[in-house]
Amino acid sequence: MNDNDCGTDDTDSLKTTRNPNKTKAQETLTRSWWSLPQPIRHIFDRFPLVTYPENELPQRAPRHQNENVLYIFQKQGPQSRDGPSFNPSCLKWQAYLKFHGIPLRTRTSNNHASPTGALPFLLPASQDPRKPVVPVPANRIARWVVSQGGKEEAVQIRQDAYTALIDHVIRSAWLYYLYLDEDNFQAVAWPLYVATTSTSYAIRASLAHQLRHAAREELLKTNTVIDGQELYRNAEAAFQALSTLLGDNKFFFGQTTPGLFDASLFAYTQIILDENLGWKQPTLKFALQAHGNLVRHRARLMSGFFSA
Amino acid sequence: MADSGAASEETIFQLLKKADPKELEQRQQAINEKRHKTFELTQQRLAELIDQNSTLPTTVSSVTVLGASNTRHGFLKRVVDPLLSANRSRPYTQSELIHEVANAATRLRRFGIYHEPISVYLDKPAKTDPTTTPTDVAVYYSVKERSRIFAKTGTDLGNAEGSAYANVQWRNLFGGAETLDVNASVGTRTRSSYQALFDTPVLSNPDIHFQAAGVQSATQKVFASHEEVLKGGWSKLRWVTSTGSLHEIGYNGLWRQITGLSQNASTTVKSEAGDSFKSSISHSWSADWRDNPSLPSRGYYAKTTAELAGWGPLRGDVAFFKSELETQSALPIPLPGVKGDSGISLTTGFRAGLLYPLALGSSPNPEPSRINDRFQLGGPNDVRGFRLSGLGPHDGPDAVGGDIYAAGSANLLLPLPKVGKDKPLRFQAFVNGGRLLAVRNPEKEGPMTHQEVKQSVSNAIHELSNGLPTISAGFGLVYAHPVARFELNFSLPLVVRKYEEARKGVSFGIGINFL
Repeated sequence: MNDNDCGTDDTDSLKTTRNPNKTKAQETLTRSWWSLPQPIRHIFDRFPLVTYPENELPQRAPRHQNENVLYIFQKQGPQSRDGPSFNPSCLKWQAYLKFHGIPLRTRTSNNHASPTGALPFLLPASQDPRKPVVPVPANRIARWVVSQGGKEEAVQIRQDAYTALIDHVIRSAWLYYLYLDEDNFQAVAWPLYVATTSTSYAIRASLAHQLRHAAREELLKTNTVIDGQELYRNAEAAFQALSTLLGDNKFFFGQTTPGLFDASLFAYTQIILDENLGWKQPTLKFALQAHGNLVRHRARLMSGFFSA
Repeated sequence: MADSGAASEETIFQLLKKADPKELEQRQQAINEKRHKTFELTQQRLAELIDQNSTLPTTVSSVTVLGASNTRHGFLKRVVDPLLSANRSRPYTQSELIHEVANAATRLRRFGIYHEPISVYLDKPAKTDPTTTPTDVAVYYSVKERSRIFAKTGTDLGNAEGSAYANVQWRNLFGGAETLDVNASVGTRTRSSYQALFDTPVLSNPDIHFQAAGVQSATQKVFASHEEVLKGGWSKLRWVTSTGSLHEIGYNGLWRQITGLSQNASTTVKSEAGDSFKSSISHSWSADWRDNPSLPSRGYYAKTTAELAGWGPLRGDVAFFKSELETQSALPIPLPGVKGDSGISLTTGFRAGLLYPLALGSSPNPEPSRINDRFQLGGPNDVRGFRLSGLGPHDGPDAVGGDIYAAGSANLLLPLPKVGKDKPLRFQAFVNGGRLLAVRNPEKEGPMTHQEVKQSVSNAIHELSNGLPTISAGFGLVYAHPVARFELNFSLPLVVRKYEEARKGVSFGIGINFL
């Protein structure tokens, strides 16, 4: 028997008035269904007799500051508060929002916090701290930016094909590079994704296994066998194509300001070229360094949008 | 035994030939009757023996347990060894012997591995044996072992929760009254739960048990918009003292995951999402001197628990000291003019708890408490007249819990006219209330220093008595079924804090433990 079981719904489901509109709606509903006599209703309305101010939230609760908050994977510590995420999907949207000048605060989090099961997601600013706002998942951030007055991006010719290069070819190589290469996994993925979750070795080992298993499953969706060298060769070819596409332009497709495509590529080039991460088998780093314009593209965005 | 005669034996043989269930039942009945008769006869013989020889010096030369083929010799030896005169300094008197023999039988019974009753026979050892003395008796216990495996499946339909379960129990696993209990259940709120529990008496003593368990569960915490997944284990030593109070001391290692957040989960709950490992030692003490635990009319119940997590070598991801106190007392109220028990009683309950954050390992600052370690308060089983976890700090739709609480209740129970005081049905009028507060530093976000924690805890304790507690009052019916207590109440909130979720009207509660 469950000894902290809860009650069924009451006949008169008046709650302590938090939202007057809702209570009014409930009242009309209750009236028609239960037709509580008016005098009793008046008596009910007198309770509670005393209402004190609210209880304060615990120390771990974030203090409300009425601003847009992007939940991402991010290194802990005050100096990296505004730094780039170490996760490509998070960094893509973090960069995109910055490119559009959206005032933003990032919060270090993990996939469990996300309504979709994966970071990032955006929690728009709200006036009332106690009223929950609907989170914006990653795939709706672009639309949300437009709704906030951002400019809609024109789709360029053949952009889809190039986006596919990043989202499939480079991503596949990336998954292998980070998760399945044993040395890189221990040197980079472990401290970033595993060690931050718990101090318990058993939990870390279990999560590490889950991560690598998921990466393998993901790669097997599009490849019959996982051949790391093949994935790296494809990525090299993709970098070559993207380098040719960028040419001598500052940003892709000859734009004067960076857009979603720049964010998508930057999400990978920044992390691959990040000197702080200590890659043990820097295959992709070398492949990328062969293309000076891509390296400069990353440096340009880094200094333009992420210099503290 | 021999005097039951050849005639009855013949009928038993005839019965054996046919094996239809009715016959089997009758046969079983015949066996039972026969055993009962033997038992009665033995009792009678014992009574006579005692009468005639109550002060006669007696020694026990041997103790035999019959029918315990699956029980370890060493295990039984520890139970019966104290009986043997070889282990005693002086002979028994006859009446002492009977007393001691019965005590050992009670111990055997309490392991729960034998069918009731356990029969005892006393016999004179054969005079031809040169090692025996004239005062010697031999003690025989005749037991029948219960089936060693027991399986059960079923459904539970509780309040706002439905579940299906399967349970398999292995008794007397290694021949020392060890039990392995494997339980699996799926439900609407506790989405899934698996538990394997191993229990063994320590040193053949039914008062001391060691338990170890592995658990895995996923529970929907609707009051705070998330699901908690638990994986881990615990072990504990539990023993009953001579005064009847129960002690438990144990270690818990649990991997907790706050996951599956709902769309509109508050930022507080969002910040709690993820993994944590709790490594803790705990102690609990409870004593129940009530006449009836679910509907007491007199007596006293007290329980204290203390848990230390993450401190020093315990490590893990959370560090705190957590302590809780729970008491209930019942007082019969006599009615002038009514002789004996009036059936009217007043029960009062009090609960309080504190979670004190500690520093983890080499970290300089104490760890702020997490939602799965904090207390929750409110609901039909504690502070009635509120939703489940309706009291304390709320962030939007979520009850985020508190680090310190106190709650009390006073219930006046009256028997119903016509039904009478002997039925477990009462009318109750109650008033109950409490506070649940968070330990926090209003000036700064993030971890607090030791000094700030100390200050914040003392502020919170001070705040407990600031103004009236959150209170509700009401009346209703109480039905104390042997399995659980049922309450149907009508209540109204008198004092609330903003955002606390009171409930006006009728509510229903099922449980074992009520405030």
